[in-house]
Amino acid sequence: MPNLTRRDLMAGTAAGAAAMTIGGRVALAQQPNTLIIGNQGAQTHFDPHGGQDYPTSVIIRNVYDGLVDVVGMPPRIEPRLATDWTVSGDGLVYTFNLNRDAKFHDGAPVTAEAVRYSFERIMAVGRGNNWMIDGVVGPDSIRVVDDHTVEFTLIQPFAPFLQVLPWISIVNPAVIEANEGGDLGQTYLLNDTAGSGPFTVARFEPENVIDFRRDPTYWREGGGNADTVIWRYVRENTNQRLMLQRGEIHMAVDLTSDDMSALEGAPGVVRVIEPGDRTFSIKMNTEHGPLSDVNLRKAVSHAFDYEAMQSVSGFADLMHGPLPSGFFGHDPSIDVPRQDLDRAREYLAQTAYPEGGLTLDIVHVVGLEQQRLWSLVLLDSLQELNIDVNIRPSTWPDMVRMCESPETFPDFFSVYLGVSYADPDVIAFAGYHSSRNGGWQNGVYNNPEVDALIEAARFEPDEARRAELYSQIQQTIVDDAPDLFGVVERAKVGLRDNVENYEFSPIIVQAVSFFPLSVS
Amino acid sequence: MLSYVLFRIALIVPLLIGLSLLVFVIGRVLPGDPAALAAGPYATAEQRAAVAAEFGLDRPIAVQYWDYVTGLFEGDLGRSIMTRRPVAGDLALYLPATLELVAASLLLAVAVSIPLGLVAGLTANRAPDMTISAGTLSAMSMPQFFLGLVLQLVFAMWLSLLPLSGRLPFTVAPPPAVTGFYTIDSVLAGQWHTLWLSLVHLALPAITMALAPIAMITRIMRASTMEALQQDYVRNARALGLSIRLILFKYVLKNAASATLTMIGLYVGWMLGSTVLVEKVFDWPGIGLYATNAILNQDFNPVIAVTLVIGVIFIATNLIVDLLYGVLNPKVGDR
Repeated sequence: MPNLTRRDLMAGTAAGAAAMTIGGRVALAQQPNTLIIGNQGAQTHFDPHGGQDYPTSVIIRNVYDGLVDVVGMPPRIEPRLATDWTVSGDGLVYTFNLNRDAKFHDGAPVTAEAVRYSFERIMAVGRGNNWMIDGVVGPDSIRVVDDHTVEFTLIQPFAPFLQVLPWISIVNPAVIEANEGGDLGQTYLLNDTAGSGPFTVARFEPENVIDFRRDPTYWREGGGNADTVIWRYVRENTNQRLMLQRGEIHMAVDLTSDDMSALEGAPGVVRVIEPGDRTFSIKMNTEHGPLSDVNLRKAVSHAFDYEAMQSVSGFADLMHGPLPSGFFGHDPSIDVPRQDLDRAREYLAQTAYPEGGLTLDIVHVVGLEQQRLWSLVLLDSLQELNIDVNIRPSTWPDMVRMCESPETFPDFFSVYLGVSYADPDVIAFAGYHSSRNGGWQNGVYNNPEVDALIEAARFEPDEARRAELYSQIQQTIVDDAPDLFGVVERAKVGLRDNVENYEFSPIIVQAVSFFPLSVS
Repeated sequence: MLSYVLFRIALIVPLLIGLSLLVFVIGRVLPGDPAALAAGPYATAEQRAAVAAEFGLDRPIAVQYWDYVTGLFEGDLGRSIMTRRPVAGDLALYLPATLELVAASLLLAVAVSIPLGLVAGLTANRAPDMTISAGTLSAMSMPQFFLGLVLQLVFAMWLSLLPLSGRLPFTVAPPPAVTGFYTIDSVLAGQWHTLWLSLVHLALPAITMALAPIAMITRIMRASTMEALQQDYVRNARALGLSIRLILFKYVLKNAASATLTMIGLYVGWMLGSTVLVEKVFDWPGIGLYATNAILNQDFNPVIAVTLVIGVIFIATNLIVDLLYGVLNPKVGDR
């Protein structure tokens, strides 16, 4: 009897081993002119006006067209649907001439009426990138001059207007109207598209895969040979790295610093490490609790070990003041706090806690190792001032809730801010204007002087005067010390060496523009 | 018998009401503001309020719950506040992926552990048993996510025998959806290559998930077999000159199987819960990941729906297990 079983067992094992070997290198099969991009952006819809996450930006860049495009490093504005435009001297009236070849995927021409319709739709939907034109473009702002000319009269001058236009897509009014469904076609666009962009969608599985196909009738000349782009949701960044190494994917857009280090020298892999679009700061509660005293904030700012922060940040650069360097408006001449314990103690002496002896809370997103390390740097730094730090990991929804009022806002709040369009206004307004109080980008900080300067800089059409305003903004904010200005993480993209014509742009790096890409 | 089955099925209703009430209340009393999250960082207070109103979050919990339950009877599981997609549609997409993985792991676990346990039981304290016992012990002490990574490293990265992740290669379209199980659907469509590809993709995640149950079920099976072999009826049967194979397969196996069956029933629930980790490691687009994302965003409707579905499956499996007892052991059959 044992004999029988033993024989059975061995037969089973042999069969199993055989089955495994036949598996072969099945996953490595590649098809010509097909580009596969691994990403962590869960795609759930095709409404360019319905989201502000990077998956939506992928759709905006590739399935739809905007009036203008933003490309390259440093980012520059280029014509897209609009061939050219004029701006009135007071910065209020923008007139765009549309490309007469531009066609939607159903063959209908892209007209001035479609532009008007699209702007009114995003305002009516009230979500997505609508915030970019909120208070700037109103229902009466847009005039259809003729089929191929559209005129915007802004409610107030808005210097970054051209910079936000790549992110407001033009949709096909006929398709939306036919599928309006009582919600401006939002339900229809969960699974369908209504664009004029270089790619259409052949297959979609939410939070899994999108099969993009190059539109052979696309109205713009040129473009690469990647006719199929598979946008593949890969949840683990480590998996993205391994797949890139194996050649299963051609691009990975969510790699960490550790992944980048591991990819050094990997055969067939090209690493792209460029100035990034995401800042990390530790916001302080300027309105409630011990840190409402500016001297304590300055003491903390001078005690913080910035070098230690950078050394645990992987590929990242220290911020020099509140605005990311490398963008227009950043003033490198401003004197920003660096670790100086003597000055820190001088400031501390002017507070209610000259000997320290207090405990402050820092909140960071649970599970984000990078944020935990930065919290530890803070804990370590403040020991020099006899200040204890209580590190509280928390879920993101809870952290959003904490921003509701100065009473619920913690002493220290860890936050990333993304640069969603190529202008310092995006960080200045989101991070420091008091109209954002109560939201997570700027929970509590408010200074009427800074508000006025930020508004003036938004409206100022003259570049030199604008730069001067941004200098003042940075100086005033540094004097108020509302944040520990942290790091700008470098953007990290991994490519196979057979991907051609990839041009890096720091604005929403993960939202790759497929149009120029080729695979050899 | 029939009344017993009907009674058990009727029992599902109060269980589900309790379950849904619990998840509903816990979801609502937690701190956090899903409407603010869904409306996005730049939303004004009015826009946040509009999202809350659209999803009914501005109404009393009791009213929200009543609406949810009445919706359930119309097959409406609500919409996700984050993606605005109907939850029922999402589940139809993700649930088959998870069930296919669980079914495959379970089949694998049973197919491997029952013979192993039998062999170990028959050879108790001799070389084969020692080897199997040592193997099961180490298998039990291996954390699942780690095992998954090791398997990926060895079979996908070093040996390039099996794919790293996913249900199919990116460039292959899934078979026409009938059951949502890629294996079954590709058979129905006669797409043999797709069947092969989906089996190859199932291999690593299924092994990862099956290993702990294999170890556990083997040990239970070993103990049950040893116990059954000690019974008087076995000695009797041998004395009567019955062939050892007949005794083994007709009597011992059947008697040893009861405890094992309980174990298998419990493992279905365990596997549905533990798919979260395996799905993440292997990028398996199932309900585990769907639920995780929803929990992190305080997106209530998907969380409740997944809880209810897992609850129903768990209850149903245990009902089937209880009924199978009757088949194995006539003493518990009639009630």
